Parts: sequence; structure tokens; C-alpha cells
Amino acid sequence: MPQIITEENLRNLIDLLVKESKVVVGPKETGSVVLYQPLTAGSDLRLDSLPRRSAKELFFPICENILTYQRQDGKMQVTDVDRSHFPETVLIGAPPCDAASPAILDAVFSWDYNDEFYLERRRKSTIVGIACTKGDDACFCTAVGLARDTEAGSDLFLTPLKDGSYGCKAVTEKGKALVDAHAALFGEAASVDAALFVEQGTEKLDLAKIKNWLEGHFEDPLWEKIADICVGCGSCAFICPACHCFDINDEGSTEQGSRRKHWDACGFSKFTNHASGHNPRDVQNKRYRNRIMHKFKYYDDKFGKTLCTGCGRCVRACPVGIDIAEILSTINAKQD
Amino acid sequence: MCQSKNIYLPNLATIEAIVDETPDVRTLRLVFQDDQVRENFSFRAGQFAEYSAFGAGESTFCIASAPTRKGYIECCFRSVGRVTESLRRLEVGDSIGVRGPYGNSFPIEQFYGKSLVFIAGGIALPPLRTVIWNCLDLRDKFKDITIVYGARSEADLVYKRELAEWQERDDVRLVKCVDPGGNGPDFDGKVGFVPNVLEEAAPSSENAVALVCGPPIMIKFTLPVLERLGFADDQIYTTLENRMKCGVGKCGRCNVGNVYVCKDGPVFTAGEVKAMSQEF
Repeated sequence: MPQIITEENLRNLIDLLVKESKVVVGPKETGSVVLYQPLTAGSDLRLDSLPRRSAKELFFPICENILTYQRQDGKMQVTDVDRSHFPETVLIGAPPCDAASPAILDAVFSWDYNDEFYLERRRKSTIVGIACTKGDDACFCTAVGLARDTEAGSDLFLTPLKDGSYGCKAVTEKGKALVDAHAALFGEAASVDAALFVEQGTEKLDLAKIKNWLEGHFEDPLWEKIADICVGCGSCAFICPACHCFDINDEGSTEQGSRRKHWDACGFSKFTNHASGHNPRDVQNKRYRNRIMHKFKYYDDKFGKTLCTGCGRCVRACPVGIDIAEILSTINAKQD
Repeated sequence: MCQSKNIYLPNLATIEAIVDETPDVRTLRLVFQDDQVRENFSFRAGQFAEYSAFGAGESTFCIASAPTRKGYIECCFRSVGRVTESLRRLEVGDSIGVRGPYGNSFPIEQFYGKSLVFIAGGIALPPLRTVIWNCLDLRDKFKDITIVYGARSEADLVYKRELAEWQERDDVRLVKCVDPGGNGPDFDGKVGFVPNVLEEAAPSSENAVALVCGPPIMIKFTLPVLERLGFADDQIYTTLENRMKCGVGKCGRCNVGNVYVCKDGPVFTAGEVKAMSQEF
């Protein structure tokens, strides 16, 4: 029998989780924008707007300490960051385009060497995804293989129903555990036929065909055409749920301080600059080409996954109006 | 605090010796402070490490000493940026951080029984110096060893004392050169660019491998010379010196196409390099 949770009980669930000292993160109005923020009560949850920034920073913070160092009695000491204190976290209200990204990023952060900063947060997180009922002009999740009701990446998946409640499906053991621990809040429905889907989204792209074109068109006038307007501001990467490039720098003196990992972007002009001054990606078209290649070819070559969830944030954020979905459609339409 | 390994945590090493190779190139000899790390640390020629000057950050260099020389490692760097300037300010006895070894290596066992031709330019001798000493320490396993090394000027030649040592040996052929105009009146090497000097030295390609390391422009003009000398793509090895940060295939900085230089490299054959998207 399908399970449901009423809107009121969904908010009650958040209240209960907060009482249990879990960190609950979800879309919340913050100033003039909606962002993924810690929720202090169920009433904080806003489900009518895609948060301005993606949920990846929950697992991969904008900036975090990876060690501290201190000179004591003339001897340097390096101290690890205590990751055992990373809190149990429930991400609630992530649409498929955001819920899918951690599952994609798991591959790079656990490839050969394990990045425990990312992986420990993943282990301690439960993702409650929610089917998306309304996209906007920039959304293109359906074009890159997701759907408004893609459960991939979610532990528990909610489907908005016409009566205002939500159909629930435990996708993983973590999701089942969350439901079992708060069984009183969940009810049984005769059916969830009343699921609320209003849009099918944009037309599906042939990702294999796009990848194939990229393989044969490393040098193509297309890249220069885009570079005419790209300003290399990095907004697209910072706001993307799947971009994961980072830098490592020290903050502090030679005596005491911390080493920090922080977001970086392949669109920045110095990203690949060698100490000698030689820069393999010395102009913007090479940098933007790398962005597209990484998302739709290199990541797939290496990990068998597309590094894009079609959330559309890069389209909305680009100060010069570069539309990645439009570029992909252009490539998709090419014959050779 | 019981937790899984932090891959970004360096081991501490003490600077045991400092040698100024040129006015802006310096070699540091490093000894790990922890007894167990010192005993267990091993690497292969061609691998690199991340070296940190606390307060400034980390920089990537190859391990310049030979894996056959135990108890210490050496790195060699030019002062060009914030981290290298900070490394340069450190003195004997100071601590630095070392993460590694990372990346692949030169397949030295596959070179047994062959002649070796080393070709290096400027500050790119250190990545080959590790192999040169590794092979000289196993001298019986190889046939002829030729080293062609050039720099812009006499002052820019690194490891001058070792060049003198190689020059003295009768089981090594060293051809040292500087660019035209970079030679003093007493310079005892050749005057000319590395590719030209290599062509003139004409080492045999028969049962030989060539190891090339240098600035992109030198490599670009050296590969055709090696081809003319009869070296096939799979007889030529080089290292890609891409900008790296994490060293472990996460930060997304060093890729050439779908190749992560830090994990799949930095050592590649000329054939492998030619197959890559030309973005290095």
C-alpha cells in the first residue's frame, strides 16, 4: 500500500528531526532569495521555488578547513580536522536536479583516493527528494536524462498530490529508516493516482550523440563563437550542483593557521596557469570548451555519468546570457 | 579521534640541506620526522609530491632524488610564486609538509638491457635526474647512457656538480649545452639549442629509449629530431608538467581531455601524448 504524508506532518517531521538534534536543511527564504539553509522549524520550509544555489555545498562546502598547523616550542605540529563531529543531516525538499548531484559526485570523490570530507558528510546525510511540478524557461533536466519524478539520488522521495499531501517512497535503506523512525507521521493511501505533474519539460537530448560530436570537434568554430561573450566570471561553476573543482590554500601565518579547500572554476584564467607562465587554456574559448567537455564527455569517459543535472542555474546566472541548453541543442542538431 | 584517513594531510619533514643550483633554483634535502614514515616511505622514479610551506600553501614538484638513495628525498624548485618564495625562505632545520608520492612512474624495469638517452632542458632536469641516478645505481642493467642537457645560459644549468661527475664517468656520455650567447669564455660544453645538439650527438635508437623533459617549445622541436634518429613513439617517454593541486584526481585542474595527469601520469609515451587532445 503506498504511503503518504500530509503537508502538516511533513512540517511536523522537520520539527521532530530538529528536536532530535539532527541538522535539517531545506529551501528557506533568506532575505530576498530562497536558499538551502538549516531549518529551525517545519514552518521554514519553502517548496514553491528552486533555491538560488544548489545543495552541493551541504556535502562540499564553499570553503572548509582540512587541517590546522601550529608551531610549538619551535616544532611544527599539524592537526587533522575532527570529522566525527560532522552532524547527521537531513536534506529535505530537493528536486530531482539537486537530489541527483551528490550521487554523481560520489564517483570523483571516492575514485582511488577517498575524500573523507565529502564522503563522511554523504554517509551522515539523508536526502528527501521531491518531484518537481513546475520548471521555468531555464530548466532542462528532462533534456539530460532526468525527469520531474526521477528518484535517483534520493533516499526518500515525495510526490506532491492534488490534495496537498505527498506520496512517499523509500528509495534506500536510509529513507526507510527515516520513515520507520517516524511512522506515526506517515499514513497509507489507497492509491497515489492523484500525483500532480503539470509539465513534461524540454525535449530529451541524445547525450551519446553529443558526446560523439565532442570527441571529434575539439577544434571547432563553435567554441570561439561562445568565447566572444563569456567573461570567465565563474558564476556558472559556483552555482552548479555538479561542478566540483577546488583549490587548496593556507590562511594564517607561518606560525599558526589552517589549510583550506575551497571552490574554484575552470573558467578562471589562472586555473591552469603553469609556474613558468605557460597556460594550456590561455583564452576563454578553451576554458569554456573544457567546461562542456568535462560535463558531457570527460566525466562520462571516466565515471560513466553526465556531470550536469539540467537545473538551469548556470543559464539564469550567466551575466552575458550563455545558455548551455541552447549549446547542447545546437550540438544535438549537428549532422556530423 | 578515530576516523578515516585525511588524504590532504602531509607528513612533516625537516630540511636537512639546501643547495642553490642557480640564483633562483634551489634543492632541498628532506628527512621525514616520523621514524615509521621515514622507514616506510618509498616511491618510483617519475612520481611527484605536494610540498607545503605552512602559511603559504602547497606546490607540486617531482621527487628529484633517486628511489635507490634511501633515508631522504630531494625536491628542486624555481622561486616564481607565493609558495615557492615561502619555501625559499625556509632554513636548514625548518619543517615542511610533504604529501605523496603520487602519479605513475618511468617503467625502469622495461628499460633493462636497453640504451638510455636522457634529454632535458633548464629546470626540467630534476624529473630526469631521479631516473638518471636510479639507472646509474643499477648501471649493469643498461647499455649506453647518453645525457643531453641544455639551459639558456651557463648560470641556468642546474646540478652543476653532478654534471661534472657525469662528465668524469666513462660509462656515461654527457652532452651539455647552452643557448647561443649564454656561454662564458671558458664554457666546456656545446653552444646551441637542445634539439640541434641532440641531432648532432645522434645517439642510436637501436634497442634504446629516450626520456625527454623540458619546456613545451623544447619538446615540440625535440620529438621530430628523435623521429629522424629512428625513435618510435613507444620508445620516447616524457612527463607532463600540468598545474596540479590535490594530486589525487579530485580538484579537476590537471586534466588533458579525460586524462588526469596527476593520476594517469605524469609519465607518458610520445604515442600517448599524441593521442591526447592537444591542451598542455
